[in-house]
Amino acid sequence: MSDSILVVVEQREGKLNRVSWETIAAGQAIAAATGWDLEAAVVGASSAGIAAEVAAKKVAKVYAVDSPKLEPYTPDAFAAALKQFLTSNQPKLVLMPHTYQVRDFVPKLATAMGRTVISDCIGFKYESGKLVFTRQMFQGKLAADVSFTSDAPWFATFQNGAFRGDKAEAGASAALVETVNVEIADNVIRNKPQEVFKEAKQAVDLTQAEVIVAVGRGIKEQKNIEIAQQLADALGADLAASRPICDSGWLPMDRQIGSSGQTVAPKLYLALGISGAIQHIVGMKGSRAIIAVNKDSEAPIFEIADYAIVGNLFDIVPPLIEEVKKAKAGS
Amino acid sequence: MLIFRKPIEGIERPQMPADVVIVGGGPAGMACALRLSQLIDQHNSAHPDSQLSKENIYVLEKAREIGQHCLSGALLDPRAMRELLPGFENEAPLDAEVTKEAVYFLTEKSKFKLPTPPFLRDHGNYVISLNRFVKWLGGKVEETGITIFTGFAGSELLFDGDRVTGVRTDDKGVDKEGHQKSNFEPGYDLRAKVVILAEGPRGSLTKQLVSKFDLAKNVNPQTYGVGVKELWEVPAERIAAGEVIYTMGWPLTTHEYGGAWIYGSKDNIVSLGFVTGLDYADPRLDPQRVLQEFKRHPFVAKLLDGGKMIRYGAKSMPYGGWWAVPPVAGNGWMILGDSAGFVNSARLKGIHLAIKSGMLAAETAFEALKKDDSSAAVLGEYQKKVESSWIKDELWKVRNMHQGFEHGLYAGIFHTALQFVTGGRGVRNRYPGKAGYEHMRKLADLPVDGGAEANLIGPAKGDGKLTFDKLTDLYHSGTKHEEDQPSHLVIHDTNICNTRCVKEFGSPCQNFCPANVYEMVDDASQPNGKRISLNPSNCVHCKTCDIADPYQIITWVPPEGGGGPNYDGM
Repeated sequence: MSDSILVVVEQREGKLNRVSWETIAAGQAIAAATGWDLEAAVVGASSAGIAAEVAAKKVAKVYAVDSPKLEPYTPDAFAAALKQFLTSNQPKLVLMPHTYQVRDFVPKLATAMGRTVISDCIGFKYESGKLVFTRQMFQGKLAADVSFTSDAPWFATFQNGAFRGDKAEAGASAALVETVNVEIADNVIRNKPQEVFKEAKQAVDLTQAEVIVAVGRGIKEQKNIEIAQQLADALGADLAASRPICDSGWLPMDRQIGSSGQTVAPKLYLALGISGAIQHIVGMKGSRAIIAVNKDSEAPIFEIADYAIVGNLFDIVPPLIEEVKKAKAGS
Repeated sequence: MLIFRKPIEGIERPQMPADVVIVGGGPAGMACALRLSQLIDQHNSAHPDSQLSKENIYVLEKAREIGQHCLSGALLDPRAMRELLPGFENEAPLDAEVTKEAVYFLTEKSKFKLPTPPFLRDHGNYVISLNRFVKWLGGKVEETGITIFTGFAGSELLFDGDRVTGVRTDDKGVDKEGHQKSNFEPGYDLRAKVVILAEGPRGSLTKQLVSKFDLAKNVNPQTYGVGVKELWEVPAERIAAGEVIYTMGWPLTTHEYGGAWIYGSKDNIVSLGFVTGLDYADPRLDPQRVLQEFKRHPFVAKLLDGGKMIRYGAKSMPYGGWWAVPPVAGNGWMILGDSAGFVNSARLKGIHLAIKSGMLAAETAFEALKKDDSSAAVLGEYQKKVESSWIKDELWKVRNMHQGFEHGLYAGIFHTALQFVTGGRGVRNRYPGKAGYEHMRKLADLPVDGGAEANLIGPAKGDGKLTFDKLTDLYHSGTKHEEDQPSHLVIHDTNICNTRCVKEFGSPCQNFCPANVYEMVDDASQPNGKRISLNPSNCVHCKTCDIADPYQIITWVPPEGGGGPNYDGM
């Protein structure tokens, strides 16, 4: 049997990850350089549809590695299924995209087979019968050439964008699709997948805010943030802060204004207990109107404030909230 | 809860073999790399059959770009550069040749011109921006094919018994709590035959090495000053390009060591700064405040009037002199430049010595590569080369200079004069020295109002034109760090800060740090109502805290590579 390359395309919940076309293109390029055969595989329950999609590309054959246990995705099941398949199929080289899912199961798969993975490659070279992969080191300042010394199968993953997906060649006719059913014993799967979630990172975009209430050190304690929040609510404003507040974890970092945070230019900026160090000023000096409340009459914030209120914010803010509410109710 | 930076443990790290790793891309490190390349080129053209490769020679530089952490006055004595690159004057960024110099003693309102001592005659030296100079030198290194890893710091030395076997670079993508973030990238283990430490003053790996092998046991403790610098653009004709002014005296009293420089550069740029010896007594003294007070002197205020401050920075400098230089070579390692303490404290110059030491280390590293032997026997040649070079000649003459000032200005002037006529000897061949922090006194022993030092203590207010508060100055350092990372200012016992230091010394970290990194915040749960809090991303990498802390419980380690000041033009 001649040497072959197997591209494992990625699917999740029945959908092909487009980055797989890049890996197909990589496989085609390596096949052209080495003269090895190129095949593809898709792993998952009832993935015949995806297999047919892949079969349109220039590949010798597409395997649909199938088992009901492969849905939902678990690293245990994927590693077990591929190990079984690769042991009988015996490709020389296995290529995958360097995705989160692949990163999740491929170390387990390679370890189970006693092999290594060359991960996150950006290219390859085939020189005098030797296949070499290129990886970045030192944040891309150096490119390392890495090759396998172990027995096949060799595992390599390619970085997103290393090859052009639209350069994956179509085949003259659709490739043969073969469904391979794998057996996965019950006790193999130890992972219990939970519902898929995206990290709830509601990045606050303060640059779009029309009114901002910002608090600084003068707020004294975390529980006092509530007062500023009430004012913000009354005004329909967004809450922001100077650095010490975010540093202390009283407000999330994405609410920080200044040189190490966001730069904003709202219609109205209310600075409560912010002294106005230049690091803060550069982040908000473009505001249309600035109202500053500070105990210290010499606080630099007053130099750029349109309205300066010298006083304790705890005396000033509560009645201000009442006034805002009254004004809003009246209008 | 403060979490401090340390290399993540229990992970597998990428290993990379190397011939030579130079830690630090300043004048010493760059000169070393360049000289090494020259020697390899010469060798390779003479010996076509036994080629040496430059491929595995690396320079680690923690700044994002070459030269961005380089700060100095600066005056360049061209001696070493002429040896390294004959004719360098034609292409190096030299701002002006020194044509005029003056030394003044300042009192609060007046100035007295002093005769310029021979060691401060600067004709023939050049006013440079060390930042631009090192950028240029680094460009030369890159042309040779030697790789400079900018944005990578040396975070740990790797040892095998009594041998240094490599350098571990910084872990990237670690959050405030010390957990790995999604972009985590472990530091590399560069397994090097030769490790060359060119980290600048108070290098963190150098400190590790000195302590591990107790290298300082037979030398005087290193003493330091911190130079706080501002770059100004002034109206035309205030000072000539190439005019150099040194001052002594005000605002310091006769108790403190230090002085100012004012250098006229091209395009109406003035470099001015104040070096305060980090061996002062009053823990409330603030070196950034000292510079502000200095600028208020009529002589200086007039010079700067109508001008604009364009950049700020600070950096420590070692001036313990020859007797404070530890052994500079051993099994697998060599130490260069400011890390070794090669500064002429009388001339206030060290760049030329740094360059020369880099060249000598390169010659030794080259021999080590040829012999494939980097044991102490081979690298020890560097020690001998330093001792038989003009580095030692120059430092020997001033070997007792700074120690002479440990008891104040008048004693210092006496000893300096005596040493001058005795070839550096003075009253004995080796004056002893004391580490600077040991001179710091407790608040209880000092006048409440600061006494004669009243105008040097407490934060500078700043008028926004001539003088600036610390945060405003700091803004002009352009310093920037990844905010979500553990503190790279490692305090070994914060209880000392909260219970003892606050009472005994009044938390001098808040004062000596020129970057507002240290802060005592109100905390009712603490015995003295104050708790130490850190703003590590303000740090300008000057190392003053590591040096001046009276309990010696602060260790400066490099933050995630790429962070730090932006010393354009400094």
